[in-house]
Amino acid sequence: MSEKFVLAPLEIEQYTLSNGLRIVLNRDDAVPVVAVAIYYDVGSRNEREGRTGFAHLFEHMMFQGSENVKKAEHFQYIMKAGGTMNGTTSSERTNYFETLPANQLPLGLWLESDRMRSLAVTQENLDNQREAVKEEKRLRYDNQPYGQIFDLINEMIYKNFANAHSTIGSMEHLDDATVEDVREFFRTYYAPNNAVLVLSGAFEPADAKQLIETYFGDIPSQPAPPGLDVSEPSEVAENFREWEDKLAPFPAFLLGWKIPARRSPQFNALYLAGKLLYDGESSRLYQKLVKGEESVIQLFGFTDERRGPSSIFVGAIPKPEKDLSKIRDTIMTEIKHIAADGPTADEMQKLHNQLINDAVRMRQSSQSRAQQIAEFALYDGDPTLINNELEQLLAIIPDQIRAAVNEYLNNENRALLDVVPAGIG
Amino acid sequence: MTQAIRKTVPEPLAPAPFNIPQPFQTTLPNGLKIVIFEDKRLPLVSYRLAFYSGDVNDPEGADGLTSAMAAMLNEGTLNYSSLALAEKIERLGAGISASSSADFTVLAASALSLYDSEILELMSEIIFRPTFPEDELDLYKRNSIENLKFQRSQPNFLASEQAARILYGEHPYSKVSPTPADIEKLSRSALVDFHRRTLLPNNAVFIAVGDVTRDSLVKEIEEYFGDWRVGDADVVTFYEPPVRDDVTLTIVDRPGSAQSNIVLANIALDRTNPDYFAVTVMNQVLGAGASSRVFMNLREEKGYTYGAYTRIDAKRLAGDFEATAEVRTSVTGDSLKEFFYELNRIRDEKVSEDELADAKNFLTGVFPIRAETQEGLTNLILSQQIHNLPNDYLQTYRQEIDRITADDVRRVANKYIIPDSIAIVIVGDAEEILPQARQFAEKIEIFDTEGKPMDVSEYGRNSSEERAQATGKWSLVLDFQGQQLPVALTLEQADDVISGELETMLGNGKIADGKLNGKKLTATAIAEMEGNTVEFVINGSIDGDSMTGTISAPIIPEPLSFTGMRDEKPKTQSN
Repeated sequence: MSEKFVLAPLEIEQYTLSNGLRIVLNRDDAVPVVAVAIYYDVGSRNEREGRTGFAHLFEHMMFQGSENVKKAEHFQYIMKAGGTMNGTTSSERTNYFETLPANQLPLGLWLESDRMRSLAVTQENLDNQREAVKEEKRLRYDNQPYGQIFDLINEMIYKNFANAHSTIGSMEHLDDATVEDVREFFRTYYAPNNAVLVLSGAFEPADAKQLIETYFGDIPSQPAPPGLDVSEPSEVAENFREWEDKLAPFPAFLLGWKIPARRSPQFNALYLAGKLLYDGESSRLYQKLVKGEESVIQLFGFTDERRGPSSIFVGAIPKPEKDLSKIRDTIMTEIKHIAADGPTADEMQKLHNQLINDAVRMRQSSQSRAQQIAEFALYDGDPTLINNELEQLLAIIPDQIRAAVNEYLNNENRALLDVVPAGIG
Repeated sequence: MTQAIRKTVPEPLAPAPFNIPQPFQTTLPNGLKIVIFEDKRLPLVSYRLAFYSGDVNDPEGADGLTSAMAAMLNEGTLNYSSLALAEKIERLGAGISASSSADFTVLAASALSLYDSEILELMSEIIFRPTFPEDELDLYKRNSIENLKFQRSQPNFLASEQAARILYGEHPYSKVSPTPADIEKLSRSALVDFHRRTLLPNNAVFIAVGDVTRDSLVKEIEEYFGDWRVGDADVVTFYEPPVRDDVTLTIVDRPGSAQSNIVLANIALDRTNPDYFAVTVMNQVLGAGASSRVFMNLREEKGYTYGAYTRIDAKRLAGDFEATAEVRTSVTGDSLKEFFYELNRIRDEKVSEDELADAKNFLTGVFPIRAETQEGLTNLILSQQIHNLPNDYLQTYRQEIDRITADDVRRVANKYIIPDSIAIVIVGDAEEILPQARQFAEKIEIFDTEGKPMDVSEYGRNSSEERAQATGKWSLVLDFQGQQLPVALTLEQADDVISGELETMLGNGKIADGKLNGKKLTATAIAEMEGNTVEFVINGSIDGDSMTGTISAPIIPEPLSFTGMRDEKPKTQSN
């Protein structure tokens, strides 16, 4: 039944302004709401050594005012219009987005264009945001038990500096950042020809196009940013590391593997294998470890999607007195079962229904549509891929999953981070 | 494009109306209320079976029974083992889960509408035929106890645990989670009995939103839930939260913490109070979002924190007001000062018409965004239903918000924010926090992370002993692009408060906001220079009679470093 499920395609229109800004329009009038998402092709992978944390610090700077929008007014304009907004930074990109009542589309475009055109980079803004970022680092990473383990394992998996270093960066590097660095970064990466603008929701396409031309049309383009090499040898950088976490109440461990790029058939197969291993109460590892052996407090896993070499993780916080190596053996045994026999027919049915369910749910919100479309537009140069992503995933056959697990999820080329509680707990 | 267009905020387009129709409602003969909202946009359904009883209805001496019952509902039924149930649900790509909150217990399901009947049948299996198997209960108990230990490592859990205890006293809202001992006591027979007595059709509402057809769904609900027998829900009475007279300071000592988690809290109002709309607008101005006052002050102006917020937690029986921030330890006291400033300001001064309009525009404008997804809409309807709000609540919400005036905001700020008897809770390094925070409170208590009371007199000694002597006249040399510029600083110290004057070649300034924390001096000097007011920020470190540090000001690109000595020491403090 699920194989015959047909999802109505989203209406996608794309074009490019003369300054190189790529535009994608996805009209859907169901609710009078419009989402604006702008994705700049810059993330932590573009940072050079000694300047880690820069892409993310810059995301903060983008809320500090521009020629016609004063410091912090961005928040205020959006909020008093009844909208929501944010920005986030990953290894791959920095995004800025607003969800607004449909009639406030001009406001969203005005705000985004003003900061693309004329960001105010001052010493005062830089100092202030550096402090805010440091607090964010303390809050999210340094003051949380297990808060740093994902940054640590990335250093163990990747050999290429572009891939290996964390998005939050180091405090020392943030202190070293000068106003001139920030201005240079802005010139290089925040140019119209290095970005994608997506609208999704209730708007008249002709009006939207005119507004976009009015606000963005004459922002000058810039020379293309320097090229980037994210290539990796297939071996992980480091197989084992022990990490003393002074806030962790229990030991824990994290396993990580280096896998092919997002949307490659192997990545997709491993994404599905991951779901079978750790997603939901009927997943194999949940049943083995949380139920069967009753040996773990928390089990988790996910794939980190990147344009270049990507990764997949499985981690657990075992119960006290449990043998960590035995738990890892259970995990590896289950992985070997999939590598040998592949998924069962029941599991394939589960995957298919879950994939359809996820795809339908994603389409409910204008903002999640806008963001998915922006990723396909920026990473793949083709926003219409959103309309065949589900088909691609449903087409994966059990033997592809088996083969990918067999090739990538082995003991030899694996990073193991052991977390040892060391202190106050 | 011309410059002119860019200079001004664009006018909005014509507003697009957004109307949520009232959902269809009916009640089965056994008292089960049914609410159906047809939404055919996408092939999805969301169901909620919600009971008007929650953790507060735990029987005497059986804390955690409601949450255990809810969690155990899908861990085995007459026809399915725990695993078989999980497989069956997940094979449909669906989700069904039950959970309890303080006031309510909710079984939530969502699925592709293709599987709507299967999901309904599974919901009835989970509600009517749970078996609470012994082995699953054992596992639940052990995992819950481990999870409680884990939660104790999370600073925000420790903060909310203390705040609830202090505010609610004997009222059951005082417990944010059961204790390990409570969990140990859970038994299968207690669960079976409690399940029979509390999950009653006349104490529940069934909400369906999505790609459904009203008439056939009512028939189907009747088929699965029509035989459910009416019962008498227990009537429980609750203690009132205690009356507070003093500002109290409660520190949870977590040595080595990089941050202080600050909570300021007092009892406010319950969810059905007619002041709810005015309080919502007030809270929006004060601290609900990233353009609210406390965020603008503590994050954007001071850079103390990644985020500072206030919130109203209005529950069925009572509610509270909370102001929260995670700040770096060294500015704990400064952050409290700013919080009190903002709490008093919204009580003492009328909010401006602009701020009021901004808050109202946000609350009314964001409403359609919240209703955009099926889950969002379902939760809005669920909240209206379980709090017994008027049937047209979602339709009139925006008008009610629009009606609020600046006088209303000031009135409710004075009624529901009580700085004179607020509870301050801080999780962090007590040794560092106590000297900074003690001046704000009349009563102080310190606990360890297990909740054990500690001896307050054992804390904060070191930093007060180490406090440097700042009084005197200091001759400093500023390094300005290789040039050595003389600067004089005359300081007066009273405990940790510093006043005095800054003298430079270009003009003199008075010190405001001067503080001494151990050896660290922080001060702002406001100087008149060639007709302009310039604010200098001084950060110094005093070691005996020498001082080093930096001076920064908006007119200079980088902070300037200085070194220098004290040339006059006051006679009274010579040693």
